[in-house]
Amino acid sequence: MATYIVRRLLWMIVLLLVISFLTFLIFQKLPSADPVSLRAGRNATPELRASIKHTFGLDKPFFEQYRIYLAKLVPFDFHKGFKPPDFGYSYQNNVSVKSQILDRLPATAGLSLGGVVVWLLIGIPVGIISAIRRGKLSDRLAMGGALVAISAPVYWLGLVMLYLFSNDIGRIKIFEGAGSYPNTGSLFSDPFSVAPSLFLPWIVLATAFAAIYARFLRGNLLEVMAEDYIRTARAKGLRERTVIFRHGVRSAITPIVTILGLDLGILLGGAILTETVFNIPGIGRLAFDSIQKSDLPTVQGTVIMGAFFIIALNLIVDVLYAFLDPRVRY
Amino acid sequence: MTRTPKRVAMLAALLALVLFVAACGSSSSDDKGGSVKSSAGQKIPQGKQGGELTVLSAGDVDYMDPGQMYYTFGYMIGYSVNRALYSFKPDNAEKPVPDIAASDPQISADKKTITIKIKQGIKFSPPVNREITTKDIKYAMERVFSANVPNPYATGYFGTIQGAPKAPAKGIPDISGIQTPDDQTLVIKLTQPKAATVAAALVMPLTMPVPPEYAKKFDAKNPSTYNQNVVFTGPYMVKNDASGKLTGWKPAKSIELVRNPNWDKSTDYRPAYLDKIHIDEGNADATVASRRILNGSALVQGDGAPPAPVLKQAATRFKNQLVLVPAGGTRYVAMNTKIKPFDNVNVRKAVVAIFDRNAMRLTRGGPIVGDLAWRYIPPGIPGFDEAGGLNVPDDPKFDFLKNPAGDPAVAKKYMLAAKQDGVPVTADGKYAGKEKLLMIGTNADPGKKSAQVAENQFEKLGFNLNFRIVTQDALYTKFCGVPKANVAICPNVGFFKDFVDPESFINPTFNGEAILPANNTNWPQLDDKAINKAIDDAAILAPGAERSKAFAKIDQDITLLAPAVPWLWDKTPLIESKDVQGVADNYSTVWHLSFTSLK
Repeated sequence: MATYIVRRLLWMIVLLLVISFLTFLIFQKLPSADPVSLRAGRNATPELRASIKHTFGLDKPFFEQYRIYLAKLVPFDFHKGFKPPDFGYSYQNNVSVKSQILDRLPATAGLSLGGVVVWLLIGIPVGIISAIRRGKLSDRLAMGGALVAISAPVYWLGLVMLYLFSNDIGRIKIFEGAGSYPNTGSLFSDPFSVAPSLFLPWIVLATAFAAIYARFLRGNLLEVMAEDYIRTARAKGLRERTVIFRHGVRSAITPIVTILGLDLGILLGGAILTETVFNIPGIGRLAFDSIQKSDLPTVQGTVIMGAFFIIALNLIVDVLYAFLDPRVRY
Repeated sequence: MTRTPKRVAMLAALLALVLFVAACGSSSSDDKGGSVKSSAGQKIPQGKQGGELTVLSAGDVDYMDPGQMYYTFGYMIGYSVNRALYSFKPDNAEKPVPDIAASDPQISADKKTITIKIKQGIKFSPPVNREITTKDIKYAMERVFSANVPNPYATGYFGTIQGAPKAPAKGIPDISGIQTPDDQTLVIKLTQPKAATVAAALVMPLTMPVPPEYAKKFDAKNPSTYNQNVVFTGPYMVKNDASGKLTGWKPAKSIELVRNPNWDKSTDYRPAYLDKIHIDEGNADATVASRRILNGSALVQGDGAPPAPVLKQAATRFKNQLVLVPAGGTRYVAMNTKIKPFDNVNVRKAVVAIFDRNAMRLTRGGPIVGDLAWRYIPPGIPGFDEAGGLNVPDDPKFDFLKNPAGDPAVAKKYMLAAKQDGVPVTADGKYAGKEKLLMIGTNADPGKKSAQVAENQFEKLGFNLNFRIVTQDALYTKFCGVPKANVAICPNVGFFKDFVDPESFINPTFNGEAILPANNTNWPQLDDKAINKAIDDAAILAPGAERSKAFAKIDQDITLLAPAVPWLWDKTPLIESKDVQGVADNYSTVWHLSFTSLK
């Protein structure tokens, strides 16, 4: 197991390097807009543009720019030893990219983790009940509803929720609306004042995921319940509840762990649509704004952060799998 | 058999739910009386002291640093926290008033020297805390010529100052043409007789004072970090700590404005009623933000305009919460005069003639969003009335502009005239060329809709288009603003005033000498020798009737060359909550935070 983990960690470093290079290449060679022109403003003289290009280091050859970027990013220096990684400074406001990401991480983490809890609380029971009552009205309603939930675009659903339930522009004024997320504090430092502004975003974020997980679990559970050992468990005289939960669900739920890790990793990189519609100042919105403005250092920073979370959580999930399923060995 | 009554019951329940939601009561903010207000000629109301206002914006300010600030939303904050030499009262965007200056600028007879006296008693906010002197204004104007403080308009408007570097300098240059004989006197010496333009430009934020002993250490870095450590002279300031670091500005998240403890009301025309102003950024969905403002409390709009459907609702149900501000800008569809067939003036006139400008205006919300444009100098800029005002003259020279819904007969006339010049045109007046002309439009509404309408207009005359949509930033920085990109048509361009002078409008947009390899704003790439000379000659005239008349004539001459299809003189719609007494700033076309109050 230890060897496996070390091997995976080394691969993580390789993958992050590849991702950093590809992102650098894409946004250097195919930027959405010219960052120098954006920074220079209208009617800027060629001399001013050249000056800004030099300040940004964009007048150097491509590989030289990448080498400089990597030297700052890698948390190790041959002369100084270990050092904190430096993601550079935003072209737009000259603020450190790392500080912006760290400042926004709690908002994204609060949104994502809360969303996970909500969708697991909904998706797992619905999936189990659907499987148990296969073909019945409750199963059909649940799966039909799941299909609708999966089909509904997140942005549209968010707007509908705001127009129906937000306490400023909604018809039925129950929940805090867009813009209610405080600019200081987070779910972790101040849960009681921050949580109310996340109820609607959690519901919106969780809807499609709950539906996917319900359908997924239902399919897995139906497959597992047809296995021989389930028949044996029943033949032994075990109660149906024990057969379903201790034997059926236990086996059917392990793949959920894998996809949960991946989904959480993706969300920690920024739930762009949910953050945008509810005005939550998270990493997703930072990424979106920086792509719009060709703010390369910030784009790079958010992409690498997102990749890191996906890879790290993937590793955690794979290790967890070994504990959940004794047959799995590394 | 037993399932049917259950299904019917379920359907009935679902229907009842739908009807319930649809039947929920309408907003109690319905406003049935009055007409939509315009800020033109507005009387500034007396406000109530105190209270806290929230501004909802989508984006962030471009900069807090007055040496780099250049966009409208930055001005909304910037002119509330800092004072320039001159500025505009909200009810008059044509005549600036002395702000830090004590009186109007004195211009020498040879138009090469400007002398300004400044007021006493104006102090910097903490942590600097001292009274400003002309040395602070000199430093503010010099630092923008440094490579560390990139400023897009310094060279364009102030490049004629003696000693001003032509290229960004290393370090802060000492500009010999900016002189401070004493703490209250500023003298600006020019290399050319362009005092009228330079004096008009003294309203720009780069004249906001910057204390050199405090700012030098930030300006020594490249780029300067003064942006995160600005000190203020206005009635408000961004919250900061003891070292001057702006703790109240969380980029792209929020800005907290509090009262500047060193502001002296007796030196300022601003009343500054509010105690605190909170700017909430990241409100990317304009519909949601607009509805929050109209239905909420103590909210006003920051950047961006309400989308057309919300604007319609505001104009009917929330009339008293909507103000229209003449934007001092013109929107047009530029045709690249360097690319065939738009190098032919008759083809361009035919395009203007066929264009349904009403349809273009509808994409932004209809007549409420502004007047149909037929020239380039907008209302409120000297020269507008002299060039003919709102209505197209009856002169047959302007026949191609007469019908805002488009005139196929006139278009055909000009296309057939183009045929005489060798342009491939069919017998019924359609373009017969086979090539695809590149048109670049924006991907965001309402600009995207405007671009799609524009596409239809060109196709009416038989043009084949390669129509691509890109982000607004890409449109300007990679395509329309880059002559080498060879874009034939730019449907989403326009120009809005920097200050109230026709040269600042006409020169960068239609002078052939102003064409740049990048960040170009002469989008049609018009390069007519006679027009270029006329602009250069008019630029040295003193402000007044002669200058206005000269630029009016230039505006008409440019119009007759038809380098673009002008279609809108914007009015910017501003919305507020019903408990806000908003005062619109006619200069920057946003709410004036120093005059706005709560009811």
